[in-house]
Amino acid sequence: MSAEQLLSSVPHADTIIVADLEAGIGTLTRLPEQAVEHTLVVVEPTPRSIDVGMRAVAVATEREQGHVTVLASKVADDADDARVRTAFADHDVVTIPTDPIVVNADRQGLSPMDLDASAPAVEAIGSLVGQLTQ
Amino acid sequence: MRVAVVGKGGSGKTSVSGIFARALARAGHHVVGLDCDTNPNLGLSLGVGDMETERLLSLRDQIDEGEQSHAHTWEDILEAYGTDAPDGVRLTVVNRIDDPEPD
Repeated sequence: MSAEQLLSSVPHADTIIVADLEAGIGTLTRLPEQAVEHTLVVVEPTPRSIDVGMRAVAVATEREQGHVTVLASKVADDADDARVRTAFADHDVVTIPTDPIVVNADRQGLSPMDLDASAPAVEAIGSLVGQLTQ
Repeated sequence: MRVAVVGKGGSGKTSVSGIFARALARAGHHVVGLDCDTNPNLGLSLGVGDMETERLLSLRDQIDEGEQSHAHTWEDILEAYGTDAPDGVRLTVVNRIDDPEPD
């Protein structure tokens, strides 16, 4: 069963499915319309990442893949944040600061939640829980 | 509710997926993490560790090589090709992606 088939048919009344799609927009372009209720578009403040993010937002919007939220990832300063917010001026943008806890967890093959659940990046991502489940 | 997490490779997409899934679970939700990436590392970001992440990938490889049969229902997939991650998240790796595009 492909990711596209699974996501469009999975029971989700009492369960929240968090689908980590393949890098790029390939899976997104193949998903049937309205296959998900929310799309999180993760964007680094780099031109290429912003470009992929803009294409992802366009596809998700056109194919009605629920509410689209842009996550500005690895934001080091105000200029980084502004770069992403300017590119996605018409969308909700959540800022995730660059965070050594996430970097260290990645290097050690661990979850950042297990290193420091109060790390700034972890708390920023955690703030989405209330927004998406209201 | 179904949430798709997308982005360019290296954007932090998988870290976001893992942290978000566990934060949802800690808030009391029943959560399934679905790893659809062609380079599946959601297990690491969820905290199941190297060995269990590799075990799930080996199951996927066995299916690709015809040594294991495909599961046909959602429950079968979660049971046969899933594992328990911390905070009660259930993780499964989708075993086939048709015609993946480069990032």
